[in-house]
Amino acid sequence: MKALFRLLSRTKLYWGLLLICLIGAVVSPHTSSGHNIFLSYGNLTDVLRQVSITGLVATGMTMVILLGGIDLSVGSVMGFSTVICAMLLTKPGWTSASVLGVPAAILVSGAAVALAARFVFAGLARGRDVSAGRRREISLTHWQRTGIPGLLGLAAAIAIGWWTMGQVPAKFGVLGVLVIAPCLAMVLGGINGLLIVAGRLQPFIATLAMMVSALGIARLTAGSDNAVVPVYTGTNATEAFELLRSMLWGVLPVPSVFFLAAICLFGAILRFTTFGRYAYAIGGNIEAAKLSGIKVAQVQLTAYLLSSLLAGIAGVLFVAQYRQGKPDAGTGLELDAIAAVVIGGTSLMGGRGGLAGTFVGVLIFGLLSDILQLQNIDSNVQLVMKGLIIVCTVLVQEQNLGQLVARWRFRRSGEAQADPRTAEPHRPPSAAKAEFAREDLDEAS
Amino acid sequence: MTIYLPAGWTPARAAGRSKVGFSQCTTLEPWRVQFNKDIQAEAKNHPDIDLIITDGQDKTEKQVADCDNLIVQQVNVLLVSPKESAGLTGVVEKAIDAKIPVIVLDRNVDTKRITQFIGGDNVAIGKAAGEHAVKLLGGPGKAAGNVVEIWGGMGTQPAHDRHDGFHAFTDKEPGIKYLLNNQSGDWKQDKAYDIMTTALRNNEKIDMVYGHNDPMAYGAYLAAKDAGRDKDIKFIIGIDGLPDEGVTWVSKGQLTATFLYATPGAEGLRQAAKLLKGEKLKPVITLPTMLITKENASEILKKNG
Repeated sequence: MKALFRLLSRTKLYWGLLLICLIGAVVSPHTSSGHNIFLSYGNLTDVLRQVSITGLVATGMTMVILLGGIDLSVGSVMGFSTVICAMLLTKPGWTSASVLGVPAAILVSGAAVALAARFVFAGLARGRDVSAGRRREISLTHWQRTGIPGLLGLAAAIAIGWWTMGQVPAKFGVLGVLVIAPCLAMVLGGINGLLIVAGRLQPFIATLAMMVSALGIARLTAGSDNAVVPVYTGTNATEAFELLRSMLWGVLPVPSVFFLAAICLFGAILRFTTFGRYAYAIGGNIEAAKLSGIKVAQVQLTAYLLSSLLAGIAGVLFVAQYRQGKPDAGTGLELDAIAAVVIGGTSLMGGRGGLAGTFVGVLIFGLLSDILQLQNIDSNVQLVMKGLIIVCTVLVQEQNLGQLVARWRFRRSGEAQADPRTAEPHRPPSAAKAEFAREDLDEAS
Repeated sequence: MTIYLPAGWTPARAAGRSKVGFSQCTTLEPWRVQFNKDIQAEAKNHPDIDLIITDGQDKTEKQVADCDNLIVQQVNVLLVSPKESAGLTGVVEKAIDAKIPVIVLDRNVDTKRITQFIGGDNVAIGKAAGEHAVKLLGGPGKAAGNVVEIWGGMGTQPAHDRHDGFHAFTDKEPGIKYLLNNQSGDWKQDKAYDIMTTALRNNEKIDMVYGHNDPMAYGAYLAAKDAGRDKDIKFIIGIDGLPDEGVTWVSKGQLTATFLYATPGAEGLRQAAKLLKGEKLKPVITLPTMLITKENASEILKKNG
């Protein structure tokens, strides 16, 4: 029984998700032929598609928050990326994007796979060590350290090169834009990271400055008298770009493929690699991490780079979906992303949480929006309800609600008239019991 | 050596030139960008006028500071297109107290002491859209169909005016049904796209979309197109009629119609020039609207180059 309670309590976020799905299914309107609209395949994939942009940004945000930082600049960085992307598509840059993009894509993908493979190998070696219960360090052989990752990277580069060769020329550009815009966005993230690591600015300040200036940079890039860079006026690029908005094999919307891939990839990196372990260690106690020889600066810089990279990719997907690039495309997005991360149970203090939670958090947010929209509830009421949901979910998550209820029950039963502070030395049995219950809850988390 | 000259004796005035200051509230919207283009184009016709444009960056306090700055520069005429009425009233009165005539553009301020107000009439445009909608849906008394209305910002006067004007006509028709209840696209193409996606999922039959501006109507069109239903929804109506946006979309047949909401930029500068020549101005100028359909869209595009 206690084990069951613990399981329920540990997985309550998932139960919340299920509950929301149930509510959605019950209250959903029906089509004239009697089909449940909420549960329809089209609606659920729509939700996945709609949350992917926020989801990608929230993925990066999770890693930054795990390190005890925050990235307020993601919205503006995404706006910058949409402008770059839209300009590559509409201006003559499209051709140069194709020329530059393919080698860049091959290089980047090869290097990424090689790096990832190295991280995974390092993580696996340590992991085996732990499961064996011995504190013996298994060192990687030279072959494991460079040979296998190198070969894998080469294979990935060849595969991607092969694939792109088989496509019609216009599709090169899609790949080019997908590499170039996020890479430029990463430059902004790099500045964030350097300001924080080398300049020792607080993350809040550094990224706040970037949030303001990136909007300016985006507007300057668009040309200061352009509020929007439209992608719809007669470019062949738009046809090829349709790929990024279509359904993959008619099953999954492509934007959500990016989101799911990011969650899986970075989830694995956080779980199985040294980078992930360091991230938790730094978020938990940065001083201790420094003292134990973790290269804190390197890990922090990587996190901010990844965060802006994902914002950059989100920008490209935005352009594909809405056929326009605009500097203020991501205004307010950073707050949505933070909300999703917090709903997902990642602590703003750092060191606690993970991407699985963020994934559920993003889904909860998206499904709720969908339910409210299907119910056709007034836009302003929707805003209020979303605020309420954030508060309620976090109250349940952080178990403050449990404490509130426990205290209330406690009062109601009339057993605790005494002020808890004066009652402390005597420790009446009921108080002790309540405290035990609370400990039990804490332990379960 | 200008610094030794008495206050108010600026070189611009000495050369017989006059300064006109224009405080724009934001340049983050295409309509506002067109607004600035219009006023700059008109300024080329008045070589004796120096035009100074400031950008309020969508913040009331920034725009008030801009106006203060223009007052300090002692412009001969101040043009203001306020972000919101109440916040700008004080600084407009300050300019009038400093003997600077003020022409208010697009949105009015809460004082009667201004020299002139120039703007479009959103209620009239909404009515024109409503009248056209009734005609498209079968004519007065017989009109029937399911209508999706996508609001602009819920807290803004233009959205309410465009809504009220539209409903003044369509509410008389018992056959017209409204599918959405106050859904705000916040004037943005991407938000309207998402609202329309859900509306399409929720309703098997949608006959008409009325967007409070063109980008939202276009966003709704894109959503219908992605769902493969753009052919079923016959009438998508927007408002603004910018050459790069609404007019282009109408000429391509993506939107059925749009209604011109002219920017008061060019007219504002013309009136300022009149004032500088010593003419007396009418207190209010209302800019007319125009129905833009596929028939006249290409003509308008040609005229705009």
